[in-house]
Formats: sequence, structure tokens, C-alpha cells
Amino acid sequence: MSQPDPVAIFRQEATELLETLEANLLQLDETPDDKAVVDSAFRALHTLKGSGAMFGFTAAASFVHEFETAFDRVRKGEKTATPALIRVALQARDHIMILIEDPDSAGSEGETLLAALRQAVEGEAKAEAAPALVIEAPVAEAWPSGWKISFSLPADALAMGSNPLLLIDELAELGPCDVRARIAGVASLDTLDPTRSALGWEVVLRGDVSRAQIDDVFMFLSDDMELTVEALGEPASEAPAPAAPPIAEAAPSLAAAPAVAPAPAPAQAAKPKTKPKTESPAPQKAASSDKSNSSLRVPAERLDALMDRVGELVIAQARLNQLAAQANDPNLKSVAEDIERLSSSLRDTTMGIRMVPIGTLFGRFRRLVHDLSHDLGKEIEFVTAGEDTELDKTVIEHLADPLVHLIRNSVDHGLESADKRLAAGKPSGGTVRLSATYAGAEVAISVSDDGAGLDPARIRQKAEEAGLITSEAKLSEQELFQLIFQPGFSTAKEITALSGRGVGMDVVKRTIDGLRGSIDLSSQMGLGTTATLRLPLTLAIIDGLLVRIGDGRYTIPLAAVEECVELPLDADGEGRGRAFLNIRGSLVPFIRLREVFNLSTPPGQYQKVVIISSGDMRVGLVVDQILGNNQTVIKQLSKLHAGVRHFSGATILGDGTVALILDPMQLATFGQHGDGTHAEQTFGRAA
Amino acid sequence: MTKTILTIDDSASVRQMVSMTLTAAGYDVLQAEDGADGLAKATGNRVDAILTDLNMPNMNGLEFIRAFRAHPSGQGVPIVFLTTESDDGMKSEAKAAGATGWIVKPFKQEQLVAVVKKVAGA
Amino acid sequence: MSLRVQTMPGAMRALTMRLGDEIFAVEANCVREILEIGTVTSVPNAPDFVGGLINVRGTVVPLADLRVSFNMPRPVADEDTRIVVMEIEIDGEKTVAGVLADKVHDVTDLDAASMEPAPRIGMRWPQGFVRAIAKRDNQFIIVPDVNEIFARSIAAAH
Repeated sequence: MSQPDPVAIFRQEATELLETLEANLLQLDETPDDKAVVDSAFRALHTLKGSGAMFGFTAAASFVHEFETAFDRVRKGEKTATPALIRVALQARDHIMILIEDPDSAGSEGETLLAALRQAVEGEAKAEAAPALVIEAPVAEAWPSGWKISFSLPADALAMGSNPLLLIDELAELGPCDVRARIAGVASLDTLDPTRSALGWEVVLRGDVSRAQIDDVFMFLSDDMELTVEALGEPASEAPAPAAPPIAEAAPSLAAAPAVAPAPAPAQAAKPKTKPKTESPAPQKAASSDKSNSSLRVPAERLDALMDRVGELVIAQARLNQLAAQANDPNLKSVAEDIERLSSSLRDTTMGIRMVPIGTLFGRFRRLVHDLSHDLGKEIEFVTAGEDTELDKTVIEHLADPLVHLIRNSVDHGLESADKRLAAGKPSGGTVRLSATYAGAEVAISVSDDGAGLDPARIRQKAEEAGLITSEAKLSEQELFQLIFQPGFSTAKEITALSGRGVGMDVVKRTIDGLRGSIDLSSQMGLGTTATLRLPLTLAIIDGLLVRIGDGRYTIPLAAVEECVELPLDADGEGRGRAFLNIRGSLVPFIRLREVFNLSTPPGQYQKVVIISSGDMRVGLVVDQILGNNQTVIKQLSKLHAGVRHFSGATILGDGTVALILDPMQLATFGQHGDGTHAEQTFGRAA
Repeated sequence: MTKTILTIDDSASVRQMVSMTLTAAGYDVLQAEDGADGLAKATGNRVDAILTDLNMPNMNGLEFIRAFRAHPSGQGVPIVFLTTESDDGMKSEAKAAGATGWIVKPFKQEQLVAVVKKVAGA
Repeated sequence: MSLRVQTMPGAMRALTMRLGDEIFAVEANCVREILEIGTVTSVPNAPDFVGGLINVRGTVVPLADLRVSFNMPRPVADEDTRIVVMEIEIDGEKTVAGVLADKVHDVTDLDAASMEPAPRIGMRWPQGFVRAIAKRDNQFIIVPDVNEIFARSIAAAH
């Protein structure tokens, strides 16, 4: 078994500690007096310092040490965390990050930062020399031929975990020893308190041993114990015969040491009773590795591999189910049911492992907004909601960049300057809101601001200039907004340092598309803009509703399914245009999948309608038959089928057949805006 | 008679390093990630020595030492604290709380083994 | 394109198969396995060239029909029909695809001497789809440029 590299663990840990530190600092910006937050920040610094030094990150460790020292007056409550101090502290935190990630690339700004920190705390640039980290090193000296050592321990030393026998062992390792116990202080048996140390020892140690080596032996006790050490005058000679008879047989732990005098019996009695030398229980080790960590780091690839295996298991289990259903063997059936239950819970557990709360991302944005607010001179309130919403970790990882971009856009282009806001009758400070919430089989994440809103006329103008549309083109507001996602589109009047560099909204859109998600913009002039991302909960396995359309079987993600109804016999015939169903008073458009799929087989007599929803859109899908629920392992379609609409992937059914997975989002859009999409559909078929 | 050492530290890398070093030196190692966790493990297992950090969330090192010494099974077990402060103030406070010894971070692996051997034996 | 044809291979270990009335040869080391035809799931609105999906040992694999690319009639599958599972390269990425064959013949070595670059004119087949024409026992064997055919199919779908 390969051990994880502690240095790698430290790097990971440092990243987390720096995140904590950042979150704490940002929190202090809002509540400067929160003692718990200050303490937490200090703990992060402290661990960074200690572990950093331990694993060779000396530059980082000494920088953190200085940082800590400068910040100490905040901890002591002598200074409050001013916004200026927080800003410098955040920069210092970034510097630590560099020192840990790539110390060689770190510039010389460390000193400048520390000076700025001290100034922010002290109000003056007085660089107070911080005590340096010290490693105590023994000093070489000349030594005599031996030592006479007499010592006795403080009465409570045994209770405090000191073991005189070990001290004697240690002396014996330095050279041949002659050990005698002083038993004068020992009480009679009836009054003896075995937890108290009453013995003294006299040890004659011969050999080339320095005084420092002896002091090392007693280093933990020297303050409180009685210890005299005298140099022996003459050179070491034959070990003298013991003046006193041995009191008891040697303790087993001393047996290995050369020429050691036996330990006295009362010492045995005085041994702390909690330290019996019994066997170490063997199972303890196993238990320790299981319980010692409440969380465990697993390389992402292993999780992916696990997910693949679970996917295969689910498919194999479906096959087993089918065989069991045909075999008419009750034993086989019961095993198949067990396996189904197990594989289903294994699937859920595995998926659960991959789910990460989106709040892990939100922290980063707090910092982003803090910095943007300072750089742009805009007062911004950053509100987050739904941090607990969980998404597949792969999705989360890919969301960071698009969200950074959207938030930047909101702050930079969305929010107006304080003057403009006041003139428009708004509060001078703007608000950017980041929220996540579950919406059926999806998670909706929105970034909204209360800024100026999108100007359709300006977008139109830009799009015409960029040659994206002609001046005659008739576009709805929604269609105009979608132009923002076209490559090369930018509405910023002048390109600021923050936005408008490199990546554009087209990259955001492409990333979200790649995650099988969608992005929508809604905006009202003068009131603000909201960008909403919709993302599937997971990329791996879903519960599906298996349906038949013509000769083919298809799966619909169950989470998108609202209900199934009979298609009324008097519903529109195979006509053109869109048709609606009355579902408890609301009109829901429905589409006949057999038409969309251009199937020539005649429809079944009793067709069903599966009502699905995506976002706030609802649409009915007319199918020939509903076959039941199944666990669906999503297999991506290859590039060869990238151009095919309406399917988000494929899966393998219990009998080994491939079934396509319907894409609720595309179908819902199709159902809502039937005509335009349908034209494209027909065109696609002809090509 | 393998001896069991409990290491209490909120830093996973330090725990890992201590664990690797002491395992290589022939000890069994239990790990705990803060004082409260440490107290549960120290009182729930037979341990031959405890290495504890001082600055930890959820019951710091000093609180741990006091709580453990007050526990019936907490007497006599050597406790070594890990500290980055080399000043005597921290040492005397920890000793007064019932610590047996200390080791100053950063330390080398040999130093760690030497200290554990000093308080717990080989 | 002409450059590519001139650098065309020396000896090639090839799997030969019949499509319609023609014999085709594909590089044997691109072939993963040969399957009897099982259930093919048709993909609504997909191009005819890749109209289906099959299950190959638990993975979903697109099924391509080269007869579409070469404008050949497509009779229904019979007992000789096979699926040749191949590794192809699309945009530098390896992808597994099945290719329908009316009949699979054998694995044979086509040596350089027997192969000629595809004539640039007078061919019935679309430009670029044929890498070379080999001759064996008075019979012409078409060596298709499988990667190119797939790449064009994707380009057409977009």
C-alpha cells in the first residue's frame, strides 16, 4: 500500500487553510469584532506556519510568522480589523499562496506586504523584529570521563506521564551505568500512594558523555526536579562493585542495557497503574486507520472509475432481473431482488460521494466581489443563497470560470456608479446576488444585479456592427439577449481592466453547453439583469421512465416527469401546428414524438402523454406506451451524433439493447416554440 | 508489545508525517484531528503516549491535557505537546496543565522518534 | 490531398470485406472485433451514414454504413452481415465505431507493389474517400480513408 505523500497533503491542506483565512478576513470586513472569526483566522495562520516549516516551506513559514506577529494586536483586541488592514491581509494571504505553490516565482513584495501590514495595524511603519523560529541545538563542549547523577522526581511526575525507568534506560544508553535507588522517602505499604513518586536515584555514568547529553535526558523535568550532576574526577575504570545489594530483579525494559543495576522493588510498586505492560491490542491499528479521519481524500480518477464500475453493475443487474423474470425460479428472483436493492443503494452512495455543495465555490466569489468593489470604487453588497445545493463535483469544477465571468459582468457592466444610481433614485450601493436552487432534475444558479439592465437597442447596434444580424432582422428581446453569447460580441463601451479580456460570454455558453446545461438572460432596463444557469444534477446515472414510441424504446429522466395522462381520443389528429392539453385548468402544449422522429408505423390506439418540465416550461410528450421505471446509466453520444437533437445520451437496457435518452430541456423548448425549431428539424433531416 | 501513540493535530499533513515516522519506528499510531476527538480516542483506547498540538479548534491542546489528566485513565500517560512557540510561557503553562514534555516545530523525524522513545520507551 | 496519397503505405495488413459488389480493405490493426449483427437502435433524424447505435460489451457505439458514403444499394442484413468494430480518429481523438459489412472475408497482406493511389479523375467515389486501390487476383480492392469519411460526416451534420 502506498502512503500518501505528506507534502502533497500539506499543499492540499494549505489551500484549504488559505480559503478559510480568506473567508475569515472577508467576514471580518463585515463584522470586525467577531472574536471567533479572528481566532479561526489565527488558527489557520498558525497551522500554516507550523506545518509549512515542517515540510520545508521555510519562506512561507517565516512570512506567515511575521504576518501572525503583525496581526497579533487584532487578536489581542487592541486593534480592530479595518478595511485597509483586511485588504493588505488578503494580499498577504495571496502571497502565502504563491510561496507555497511556487516559492521560486515569489517576488520581493513579501517585505512590502509585511511593512504595509504592520503599518495598517500600528499606524506606523515601525518594523518590530519578530522572534525568529528557533531550533534548539546542543552546544559542543569538552566532557570528563563520567558523571555522578542524583535525582528524584516531583511527587506528581508519575501521574504526569514521566517514567523514571525510561530516564535510567536513556542514561544507560549513553554509557555503562551503576544505578542505586534512594528509598528513604518511601512510605510504608499501608500508607503508600503508588501514584506518587517518592524514590530517588543515584547513577554513576561512565564514558564520553557531555553534560548537555545528560541535560537532554532530563530536559522535560529539569525545572521541577531535584537533580545534581557532578563530573567524576578520575578517568573511567572498571565498574565498581555495588555497595548496596540488589533490591529486586531487573525490570524487563532494562535487560537490554549494558551493566545496568537492577531497579528497586518499590519502584515497581510505584509504577503508575495505568501503564501495565500488557500486549497492545492488535485490532487497535485497524480501528485507528478507520476512525482517525472523519474525511478522506480520494483522487478524482478513482471516483470516476468507481462510477464506471457502478454503471456496469447497474446494467448487469438489469440483465439479471430480466433473466430472473423469465426463469420463474423463486430463488433466483429473490437473489435478483437483493442485487437490485444493493446496486441501487450502491449507486446512490456513489453518486452521493460525488456530490459537492456549491457553497464551496461561493467563497471564492466573495473575494472576487471584494476586490472588484475596491478596484472599481463601487459599493457592492454581495448576497448568496442556496450554498447547500449539491451538484456533481465535475459540474462544480467547470462552473467556477463561467460564474466568475458572470459576476464580473454584473459588477463591471451591470452596476452603475454611485452617482448614476443616486440620480436614478436607487441606493448608492449596488447588490449582486448569487443563488442556487433545485429545479426538478436540474439545479438553477442565477447571478443577478440591480444595475442598469441590458439595453436592447445597444445590443442590436453592436450586433449589426459585428455583422451578426442585418438591420432588417426582426428579433425578440430574448433573441437579442442571446446574441451576447455569440463569439466576438462585447457591449462594454471601453474595455476595462477587468472585463472584456480574452474570454467572452461565448466561452461561458460553450462551457455550460458542455455540461448539458443552459443559460438564460433576463433583464429590465434600469432595474437589473439576471443570468440563470440550469445544470443537470449529475452526469452519470439517473432514474428513467422507459417508454415505447413506434418500435423504439426511449428513456425520459424521471426527475423531469411530472405526470402521465391518457391522450384524449378527441385530441387534434395528426395535424400541423401545436396542440394543447388541458391539465387541471392550465394549457400544456404537447408534441407527438412519432412525428418528430418521422416514424412510419401507425400509432397505438391508446397513446399516453408524459408531462415533463424544464425550468418553468411544461410540455407533453405523446408516446405509444409507458413501460416503467429503470435505472439509467448515461452514456454520452459520440461526436458522430453531436448534431442530433432531442437526445442527451443513450443507455443500455436490461436485454442489452441501446435506448436513447430524451432531453427534457430541448424537448420543452421545442414544445414551447414549436415552429422555428421544427423548421430546423426538417432541414436537418433533408441534409 | 507494540506501543500505541496517539497524535492529535488539526493539520492532516502533520498527522500523516507523525504517523509515518512513528509507524516506521515500530509504533502503532492513532490519529485525532482536534482536542475533543483526541479526548475520545485517548480515553477510549489504551495508548502509551500522546502527542498533541496546542492550537486547535474544538478544544485546544491545553484544554485537552487538563481534561485528560482529570479523567481516571488519564494519569501516567506521557503527553508531549507540539508547539511552534519556543517561549517558556507556553511550556510552563502546558506543563502546569499536566504535559510530560514538548517538541518544538519544526522538528526532524529523528527528533520526534527520540522524544517518543524518551517518554514511552521503544 | 495528393501529398497524402503519395505518401501512402507500403505493405498493409488488411481486413477485407464485401460491401455491395465491391471488396474493401481496412487496416487490420484498427479493427477491434467482428460481431454478428444484433439489435441496432436507430437514432431518429440522424444522418443515414450513422443511423444506428449498438451495444458493444456495455458501451454504446455508433454504427456506420459505408455503403451510404459510396452511394451503394443497402439490402437488409442477412446471415453474412457483420459489424466490424474499429478504432477511428476524429479530430485527433480516438473513437470506437462499428462499420457494417455485407460479408467479412479475411485478413491479408497487401503489399506496396499491388497498391496504387486512387486516380483523381474518373472515379465513381467521392473525392478523398479512397486512399488507394489494391489489386489481388485480378480483383480491385478499395482501401477507403475511414477517418476522412467519418470526419466529413461530422462536418456535414453541423
